[in-house]
Amino acid sequence: MTAVSMVVNGKTVSKDIDPRTLLVQFLRDDLRLTGTHVGCDTTQCGCCVVHVDGLAVKSCTALAIQFEGSQVTTIEGLANGADLHPMQAAFREHHGLQCGFCTPGMIMMAVDIVRRKGNDLDDKTIREELEGNICRCTGYHNIVKAIHAGAEAMGGLSKAAE
Amino acid sequence: MAMTMKGAVALPAEREVVWAKLNDPEVLKACIPGCQSLDKTSDTSFTAVVKLKVGPVGATFKGSVELTDLDPPNSYRISGQGEGGVAGFAKGGARVELTDPPEGEPGCTLNYDVEANVGGKIAQLGARLIDGVAKKTADQFFANFAAAVRAG
Amino acid sequence: MSATGIGASVRRKEDFRFITGKGQYTDDVNRHGQAHAAFLRSPHAHAEIIRIDAAAALAMPGVVAVFTGDDLAADKIGGLICGWMIHSKDGEAMKAGGHPALAQGKVRYVGDHVAVVIAETLSQAKDAAERIVVDYRVLPAVVATSDALKPGAPVVHEVAPDNAVYRWAIGNEGETQAAFAKAAHVTKIDLVNNRLVPNPMEPRAAVGDYDSGQDAFTLYTTSQNPHVARLVLSAFIGIAPEHKLRVIAPDVGGGFGSKIFIYAEETVCVWAAKKVGRPVKWTSDRTEAFLADAHGRDHVTHAEMALDDKGRILGLRVHTTANLGAYLSTFSSSVPTYLYAPLLSGQYAIPAIYCEVDAVYTNTAPVDAYRGAGRPEATFVIERLVEVAARETGSDPAQFRRKNFVKSFPHQTPVIMCYDAGNYTAALEKALEMADYRNVGKRKRESERRGLLRGVGISAYIEACGIAPSAAVGSLGAGVGLWESAEVRVNPIGTVEILTGSHSHGQGHETTFAQLVSERLGIPIDNVSIVHGDTDKVQMGMGTYGSRSGAVGMSAIVKALDKIEAKAKKVAGYCLEASDQDIEFRDGKFTVRGTDKEIDFASVALQAYIAHKFNGQDLEPGLKESAFWDPTNFTFPAGVHICEVEIDPATGVTHVDRWTAVDDFGEVINPMIVEGQVHGGIAQGIGQALLEGAVYDAAGQLVTASYMDYSMPRAEDLPNYRIGMTQTRCPSNPLGIKGCGEAGAIAAPPAVINAITDALGHEDIAMPATPQRVWRAVQKMAPKLAAE
Repeated sequence: MTAVSMVVNGKTVSKDIDPRTLLVQFLRDDLRLTGTHVGCDTTQCGCCVVHVDGLAVKSCTALAIQFEGSQVTTIEGLANGADLHPMQAAFREHHGLQCGFCTPGMIMMAVDIVRRKGNDLDDKTIREELEGNICRCTGYHNIVKAIHAGAEAMGGLSKAAE
Repeated sequence: MAMTMKGAVALPAEREVVWAKLNDPEVLKACIPGCQSLDKTSDTSFTAVVKLKVGPVGATFKGSVELTDLDPPNSYRISGQGEGGVAGFAKGGARVELTDPPEGEPGCTLNYDVEANVGGKIAQLGARLIDGVAKKTADQFFANFAAAVRAG
Repeated sequence: MSATGIGASVRRKEDFRFITGKGQYTDDVNRHGQAHAAFLRSPHAHAEIIRIDAAAALAMPGVVAVFTGDDLAADKIGGLICGWMIHSKDGEAMKAGGHPALAQGKVRYVGDHVAVVIAETLSQAKDAAERIVVDYRVLPAVVATSDALKPGAPVVHEVAPDNAVYRWAIGNEGETQAAFAKAAHVTKIDLVNNRLVPNPMEPRAAVGDYDSGQDAFTLYTTSQNPHVARLVLSAFIGIAPEHKLRVIAPDVGGGFGSKIFIYAEETVCVWAAKKVGRPVKWTSDRTEAFLADAHGRDHVTHAEMALDDKGRILGLRVHTTANLGAYLSTFSSSVPTYLYAPLLSGQYAIPAIYCEVDAVYTNTAPVDAYRGAGRPEATFVIERLVEVAARETGSDPAQFRRKNFVKSFPHQTPVIMCYDAGNYTAALEKALEMADYRNVGKRKRESERRGLLRGVGISAYIEACGIAPSAAVGSLGAGVGLWESAEVRVNPIGTVEILTGSHSHGQGHETTFAQLVSERLGIPIDNVSIVHGDTDKVQMGMGTYGSRSGAVGMSAIVKALDKIEAKAKKVAGYCLEASDQDIEFRDGKFTVRGTDKEIDFASVALQAYIAHKFNGQDLEPGLKESAFWDPTNFTFPAGVHICEVEIDPATGVTHVDRWTAVDDFGEVINPMIVEGQVHGGIAQGIGQALLEGAVYDAAGQLVTASYMDYSMPRAEDLPNYRIGMTQTRCPSNPLGIKGCGEAGAIAAPPAVINAITDALGHEDIAMPATPQRVWRAVQKMAPKLAAE
């Protein structure tokens, strides 16, 4: 067993874990943060995307012990209390989810796309940037719409904050 | 997943010397990539443990190796099969034939004609890598074997 | 229309938990003291099991138990079943080979279940599974659909020595031959409907639990129909009587058919929970899902269409070989028969149809219903035939369809179905308009100037949904009735719980069903909750598949709401001192006709429970009603999809440039959700046409067993969709709903292939039309086109 300590959704957590524990197993099994999902074994589906130190990471392909001291945000930590993150609200408003299983990873990736590509996104950019996230329900049409809207809303918020 | 390979290597030793090494478990054990053990169960059969890695799947295969169609000191068929538990199975064989070297060169030529088959997880996840791995494994075996022959 | 009533695009109630990570899927369920299961699967497609040595595995750290098929047999646990009896045309019953949950003596496909290891942790279970030594005697395998019936093919089950499960036929052979005899033109095609892996994003999972104090089992499982799972596990497999077995299907992350079936893994988990005295959890990894989830499609078909000299369809004859895999999955036998051939008439008036289906065993994963189930296969046959026939006779494909459409209703086809309502021409005209069909030629020339090949493809589909009238399906061999149940529980303060036997795994029932109740009872939508997926809460149900939840599930709710209204009127009558015959109910208020006396719904609910205004002997207290709805007919959603593709002849890459869908789903409760269903269906259909295919090698190894090798549709592969609707009310249910869940997956594949073949100028392309295949097909184009 190896000791690991990191900040998850603003709270410091320390645990003794099997060194081969993946970050997603640490989040789901040790911390019971089950919003982060596992949809494949080969880092393709993106159901497991979380943010580590501000960057999107597929938590199924990283060992928990790699992130000693890191800041981790999962889907459970995205909303500000009762206020949904604009990207969460956009997914609901534009029906960007059906079964909901890929949704946490989609939303975390969408927020990362905005971080990297800005608030004014075209369809092509969004579709390209979703290469690592698979949804089987929506046919992506409404996910693309939601990310447009979420990105704009995030821009509005950050402008308002300036 | 089946694959086949053919090739030839020039060896700097007489046919009888090479033949003896082809039948020496210690030499074979040293040459088979990933071979953990090779124990004789009869003059022509062995039990073997081989570690093999295909892409993301690594496994220890336990199985048997058998020599058939013996025509000393010219040719035999070496075949093996192993079960790798959850990783699946591997089986295969090679016809090995020693022939005269090209005009004017010393030693002999070892010709091989390999066929290999894998199944289970190793095929499911490593399908696109298997040809490469099989070729690399065969190349390595014969390179090791050539080195063993050279070392006498 | 109210903001939350029928017809409004109400944002989904269930979304809050999904977008905040609070969904509760089966793998999120953890029971105190649970152990973890790992399955040892066959690496061979076909082999005898000589011996299983688990000694080394049992000695591994953390191992609780190792079980094999012998342990299940010792406990008299029955095999998995197929619940639909099909008879061959000679009257013989289908040949169902035994299907033990853990192999007994033989394995029949790669991924077949050999043993289970139960350990403290999943890693320990997996590590120990590596140590189980199995001696196999490997047997030759039969893999390809078209090889199964060949003389001398390896035999998968001894009960079927020629690998034929059944040789079935439907229609009128004599009339059909006569139609062909007088035909002016016959169009012939050979088609392969490619094998697909359903791939809901949530892999299957199960948690079995046993309460020794109650002598009762609980199974949490990824199911589309928990009551059917309980019925099968209880009555056929013999886990426990139904009243001692609770099945819970919590949030389920997509199903597409693959979670209808009762599989080996949940059977073993719930059985083993009692054996080891603690909860047992299993979660599939993606490769296991590829290996052992029931696959879909896999037909090989030859089809012919007879035309008269005016281009009218005279007859259709079809021969299909359907691969059912190594074992008969739960509903597999019905898919290439009654869910397939009765739809071969499509939207067309065809006087004579004859179809033969040979279903075969092979050493591959079981094949069963996948989104559309039989109907996409039928639509692919008829819509490819119609397209090719139009081209061969020099007609415009739209005009050819228009000419042959069914135009009056009801319309009895020669293959069982009686289409009750529709307007196929209206959908076609609207789709052509939306797709700007008249300017396709111009767009083709523009593409040509850029060195690209543009093609347009039409698909006019029909499906039979709202599955299904119980007596009718019973006469066709179904082992169950296909009604649905509902219970309406009005609480004393006027909030309402709806218990439904339908199961939502992405369809948004918590919203749509609540819209119906909100509108009907005139109460806020937030005062309605939908309860489903738990056999201890909902008395009985048949689950969700075959686009049945709206047409059948909601009809049951309507029927229960009718009873609620009748009872509430009686209560209101006592409160308002009037006869219940004089009470009117509208917008949540009960009024006495012709007076200003009124009482609202919540007050009536309270009065029903406190029972102060009436005598309990005259009227039972309480306000709770239940109903079972058994449909009187299938429903017949139909529509026209038009696809426009651009092919790069240099690379063979097909880009879907435009997609137009015009569907007639009857009445629509929530357009936003319905459109979402259409989008998702189209994506799966485009996936089948362009990207997806399960591939076994000659030895039966599945070489597309992960997302590295099985191409799932990604955002970049798909276009934005233009969605339109036409509407003819469904006459066979109270809401007029036809169903929408499968439409896109049914319509899309022929639309794509018709577009590609239009671009190519020849018909020689198979699904999936990968860049490699399309590039090769481009090389076969007529010289003039290929030179461009």
